[in-house]
This record gives sequence, C-alpha cells and structure tokens, in this order.
Amino acid sequence: MFLLSELEEDALKEFFNLGLGMAADSLSQMVHNEVLLKLPKLKVVPYEEATRMLSAGQDEKLVAVRQTFKGELMGTALLVFPGSESLELVRTLLSEDMALEVLAELEQETLLDVGNVILNAFLESFTQMLRLEFEFEEAEFLRGSSRFLLDITSHVAVQGDELVEQATDNDRAFVLMMDFKTSDEENTQHTLSGFVVLLFSKPAMLTLKRELALILANL
Amino acid sequence: MEKKKALIVDDSSLARMMIRKFFADGFKDWELLEAKDAQDALEKSEGVFFHLALIDFNMPGMNGIDLAEKMMERQPGLAIYLVTANIQERMQLRAQSMGIGFIRKPIDLVKITSAMQGLA
Repeated sequence: MFLLSELEEDALKEFFNLGLGMAADSLSQMVHNEVLLKLPKLKVVPYEEATRMLSAGQDEKLVAVRQTFKGELMGTALLVFPGSESLELVRTLLSEDMALEVLAELEQETLLDVGNVILNAFLESFTQMLRLEFEFEEAEFLRGSSRFLLDITSHVAVQGDELVEQATDNDRAFVLMMDFKTSDEENTQHTLSGFVVLLFSKPAMLTLKRELALILANL
Repeated sequence: MEKKKALIVDDSSLARMMIRKFFADGFKDWELLEAKDAQDALEKSEGVFFHLALIDFNMPGMNGIDLAEKMMERQPGLAIYLVTANIQERMQLRAQSMGIGFIRKPIDLVKITSAMQGLA
C-alpha cells in the first residue's frame, strides 16, 4: 500500500478542503441554498476498499459524473450520488412542480452540467496549489454500482493505452474521497449528500506525492 | 519593542505553516500563537492579549464563528478574520454581520498584508 506521510496527507486534505469550498460555492449558487461542508474526510485507499466505501449502506445504484484530466497529473474525478438523490437535486435545480417523468428526462443533462461545474471548481483548487498543468476532458454521466463507477480499467482506457498495463493491479489505484451535504434550513427534505472521488494510478500518485513534498519543503 | 501577537487557529498543519511563512517573510515583528482547533485556542490564549486572530471555520469541535464569538467576549475589539475555503455568500455575510473580516483560502501574502493594513 502506497502511503503519504502525515504532513503530506494533511496538505492533500487541505487541498481537498479548498476544492470542496469552491465546489460548494458553485453548487450553492445553483441550488440557491447553503451547502454545508463537513470536515474533510480524506481517504487514500486501494480500489477494492474504495468500492466498498462507496457502496456502504447503498443497495441501490449510484449515479456519477466522471471527468478525466490529462497532462502533468492524470486521473479521474467523480461526483457520486446515491441514485435516489439525483432526481432530488434535479428537482431543486429546475422546478419544484415539475412532473417526475420530465425530471427523469432532464436528469442526465442537468447532472452533467452540475457535475461539470462542481468538478471543475474542485480541480481548479489543485491547479492553484500544485504547479502542475492538466486539462479536463468532457464530462460523462454514469449510472451503476460502485465497482462499475470506479473501474480502473475503464478510467485508464479513457486516458490512453500507456497506463493500461500498470492499472491492472488493484493495488495501483488510489482513491481520495470526501463527502458533502446540502441543507435547507427550512426544508430538510432537500438534503443531498455525495462523494467527490479522485482516482489515480500509482504513477500519478507518485507525481502528487512529489509535488506535495516540494510545496512542504518550501514552507 | 514588544512584539505584536497574532492567534492562528486552523486544524490544517499546511495552513498554519503557510501563515507562519508569510509572517516570517513580511511581518517579523509579530509573535504567533498557533492552535489546532477552538478548544486548543481557548486554552492557549487564556490571559493573552492579541492584536489579531486568524481563524479557520471548518474545524473539529467548535467552528470558527463560534470561536470568534468567544474571543470577542474575552477581548472586545480584537481584530478577527475568518480564514476559510468556505467562500459561500452566506458565510461571508455571517462573518460581516459579526464584524469579522473574511479571508478566502488559499491565503497568500497579499491577503495577509491587506488584513494587516486594516489594523490600528
């Protein structure tokens, strides 16, 4: 298992915190409501453990917006919600009185837009703090089990063939997870929680570790 | 000349290290007291007079706004800035309504300098 030092993990958690802050600001503007941010719970875990964490307590399918990034740091970012909550978010974003079938029709398109904004805000914090340049690919909408959503082969296949061989080993996938929650003080039915997941191959984690060490060395 | 004192409260070691570096680079005549959360801050700051407090919002236990309230009770008129990644409008308005300054993370020398300029 690949380990970050305590200080590196603390720094990464702070980057996540910054990213989630920016993402929450974007989301709060969209839902016209405050997004409550829990304390960052950062987990750097292998693929198998990540799939277990994502599916914990969830019998249903999950929905996710996935966005791959390429460049000096390569990886995949996912915004994951329980399937039942995605329609609730769409309802909050669009209209209270919209018929369920209309909401369902608009679900994919709306979540893609939301996911795109949130993930970009989130990843921008990484570009602010790390001196690494990377570009985002087009966002995709996915629905399925945690195993399907975090599938490293699929993730790497999107990025190109060069990492496929390295990615066949489950121990070489690392996932950083963080959860968040929206809340309406006057209507607690509108609560949405989800995960932001960053999926890295081992070479990408090494790049990240090297950058963290550089930043910390300068302080 | 006696150094001015600033209280830095943040559960992130990185954030505290960054602030420490900015003070070391630009404000050498300041003495910093660091705390990792509100409880730690309240214990360490007992009986100490501060010229400035930089407080994170999202921390284990008591949040930064509640800590700021306690610090204002202890030392009315203390210049307090909420230093946070939570940049939502409601958070900024909450700070503003309490007379607390707001610094958006990531913190940098410009933001620190700007906050210091507001001090008497």
